[in-house]
Amino acid sequence: MNLDEALQTFITESRELLEDMENALLNVDIAGEQGEAINAIFRAAHTIKGSAGLFSLDHIVAFTHVVESLLDEVRDGRVTLNDEMIVLLLSCCDYLSGMTDALAAGQLEADPDTAPEGEMLLQQLRRHMAGGSAEHAAPAEAPLAVHAEPGVERIDQDRGDSDYWHISLRFGRGVLQNGMDPIAFLRYLAKLGKIVGIATVPDALPAADDMDAELCYLGFEIAFDSTADREAIAGVFEFVQDDCEIRIIPPHSKVSHYVDLIRALPEQAARLGEILVRCGSVTAHELEGALHQQAHPANPQDDTPPQQLGSILVGAGNVPPVVVEAALAKQKQVSEQKAQESRSIRVDSDKLDRLIDLVGELIIAGARANMIGQHIQNTELQECTSTLSGLVEEVRDAALELRMVKIGATFNRFQRVVHDVARELGKDIGLIVDGEDAELDKTVVEKIGDPLMHLVRNAMDHGIEPGDVRVAAGKPAKGMIKLNAFHESGSIVIEVSDDGGGLRKEKILAKAVERGLVDPERKLSDSEIYNLIFEAGFSTAEKITNLSGRGVGMDVVKRNITALRGSVDVSSKEGAGTTVTVRLPLTLAIIDGFLVQVGGSVFVIPLDMIEECIEYATEPGQDYCNLRGQVLPFVRLRSLFRIDGAATRRESIVVLKLGNQRAGLVVDTLLGEFQTVIKPLSPMFSEVKCISGSTILGSGEVALILDVAALMHTVSGKGTVAALAA
Amino acid sequence: MQNAANHLAANAVTYGSSAIVALHSGAALPSQFLTFMLGDDPYAVGILHIKEIIEYGALATVPMMPPCVRGVINLRGAVVPVMDLSARFERGPSAIGKRSCIVIVEVDGGDGKQVLGMLVDAVNAVVEIAAGDIEPAPSFGTRIRPDFIAGIGKCNGKFVILLDIGRVLSNEEIVEMARGTVAGYHA
Repeated sequence: MNLDEALQTFITESRELLEDMENALLNVDIAGEQGEAINAIFRAAHTIKGSAGLFSLDHIVAFTHVVESLLDEVRDGRVTLNDEMIVLLLSCCDYLSGMTDALAAGQLEADPDTAPEGEMLLQQLRRHMAGGSAEHAAPAEAPLAVHAEPGVERIDQDRGDSDYWHISLRFGRGVLQNGMDPIAFLRYLAKLGKIVGIATVPDALPAADDMDAELCYLGFEIAFDSTADREAIAGVFEFVQDDCEIRIIPPHSKVSHYVDLIRALPEQAARLGEILVRCGSVTAHELEGALHQQAHPANPQDDTPPQQLGSILVGAGNVPPVVVEAALAKQKQVSEQKAQESRSIRVDSDKLDRLIDLVGELIIAGARANMIGQHIQNTELQECTSTLSGLVEEVRDAALELRMVKIGATFNRFQRVVHDVARELGKDIGLIVDGEDAELDKTVVEKIGDPLMHLVRNAMDHGIEPGDVRVAAGKPAKGMIKLNAFHESGSIVIEVSDDGGGLRKEKILAKAVERGLVDPERKLSDSEIYNLIFEAGFSTAEKITNLSGRGVGMDVVKRNITALRGSVDVSSKEGAGTTVTVRLPLTLAIIDGFLVQVGGSVFVIPLDMIEECIEYATEPGQDYCNLRGQVLPFVRLRSLFRIDGAATRRESIVVLKLGNQRAGLVVDTLLGEFQTVIKPLSPMFSEVKCISGSTILGSGEVALILDVAALMHTVSGKGTVAALAA
Repeated sequence: MQNAANHLAANAVTYGSSAIVALHSGAALPSQFLTFMLGDDPYAVGILHIKEIIEYGALATVPMMPPCVRGVINLRGAVVPVMDLSARFERGPSAIGKRSCIVIVEVDGGDGKQVLGMLVDAVNAVVEIAAGDIEPAPSFGTRIRPDFIAGIGKCNGKFVILLDIGRVLSNEEIVEMARGTVAGYHA
């Protein structure tokens, strides 16, 4: 196994685990139901520690160990989780992320710069532990802080003299082939305490001729002196627990447990007994008495299959059945998760981008072949190219699908943001997340994070009123931010809403007039007024806070979203809250387009924006027509773009739909559907809002892609189609 | 002139400017330039900026752009804007003739290199102009804006204007012009 690669996997996994941990921590906060969430947090910390141990990343192991210890106490109910601890644990998450990032940057040792921060966190963690006392706190140089108390029930009666844990290990045959070194586990075990005695059990070793040098035949019986608990000891072997037999007997256990152990193992009882005596876990005298008892089998669960560590432990009476059930459920979950992981593969996103590029070229080449086929009027060729374009279309969809990710992960990040910001602002604010399963292109997801962050922070800072104001207004003291995502006609719609005070129209208008953004004489509709908040240099907050109020932000949000060919809109109800609606294309690379021609220019309209195409007709002297009894205002593309030449005799109207608006676009000729590979336009054209990009037609000509949202905005702003503004 | 020289010194990548730097440092560094015609006047651009020269062909007009942006072309799969140099120098749009060409150049834009096309009336030749034969642009007396000029070269006993194409094809300025044009459309 390539260690670098493994390390990369460790880094990726750690990041994911830390994310899980963070989410779980925030969920505890919200639900108040702790059991499952704490288990999840513990699992994350534990796995990170275990993996870090494999890479000898001592600083991470040492830190995680303390975190884990505290979590363990929480899990056992000895310490109750409170708000302060959640904040502390979140900081620990951040600290661990920091260490992981440093690791990714190639720093394998602890960073002396951040060490004081880590030390501070460790001290705080220890303060929260049940003992809460200094004697459990390990000195800073010790790699591992010892655990407060082993969480094992002891049975006074009939107990053995042994002060040590006894660990019985039978490594699976495939351990070495799986890249695990049994010795590494023993070394790691030694870090948790002292190996008092160890005996190798070579009984499974076949005759030299039959032996396969790549298999592991050995087992170990170990007497182990440690203050760590069962979970920690078992955790050492986590990576091999699936194919190994591991039995752990706590200190001071009944001698009969050892007997059970002896019986459960495949080796000869007498020989095992000897081994146990040799490694010091039991005395010869005790064993004799026990073996005598063996004649009268007292334990009805003797025939339990030896693989089931859990049932053996229950049989041995040292763990309550509930705990084992939980542990087994957890194990099952883990293995299910593993099965799921094996069905998916990680792919470098550059490779995907390359694939999409190639598919784009393929589409252009296909369109060209199609055109030539039509041109030379060869039916066979036409048939062939039509099959080909069908397939290419499927390939395109499949390739784009590869890049689709759920928006849930992005949304969940905001749990933390809301939590932190709410504390900072001294407001009580919760986050509701909906539509996490909505999928969109990875590049869009990556770029939408910042604008969403602005919107959420803004909603928290300006939207949600302070608690007392809310109560006075008859609203619950706890404010709510809601993130919602859903698909609508080829785009994804993300809504950020709050149940705060809403936008104050008069104030916005007054401010806009004061800043010279609007003419005081002009009459604006409500939505126009609300959308003024996206203008540059606009902020109505009287007080400038750390978070927002500097008047940069909303215009940046708008610019970023527009850059993604998206649009943003705000609606609000005074006293009841504000909703910001972000509309984004599902993908940035390829769209289904519809070609239209005006004069000598060919334009592409995104197909999802088109409702229908109708023959040109107009009410006399007006720029609207009668669409089955409804007024349909329209724009003449020729005059909008000032394209020379007279209109053709048979013009058509393309009926466009954007949200709940509808408008017609008058064009000369309809050329039909076309798979459009979007080619970015030079930044030189950034001022031409109505054009979102370009594409290359089968003929090699360039066609421009119309930005329907901007187009509608332009014409309604002009007042040509005033009805659209409503 | 001083300003233009300062600007040129700052924009060391521009070929003309390196010639000027060479001029100032006294080294005789010969440089190659592509000369072309706009109407009856010859102009030249440092050859290191030039990627290729193609025939004037199918060009898609982009609406709401100032007249100096002629449109966009398909350059082997990439969509490249084409500037009408004559319109840029405020001498009216170029009439397309038999010898009209698009010179594809690479300039430093705001974010990295940018590939652009320049529509010219005819391409003449690649000439070698020694740094000693390059004079700074006069502060007045030229028919194009002085800041577009990197210097004036002497070639076969005639003067030829060496263009500072970083300035001529400046993205910011065109975006600024487009803003005005778009506003005009909406008025």
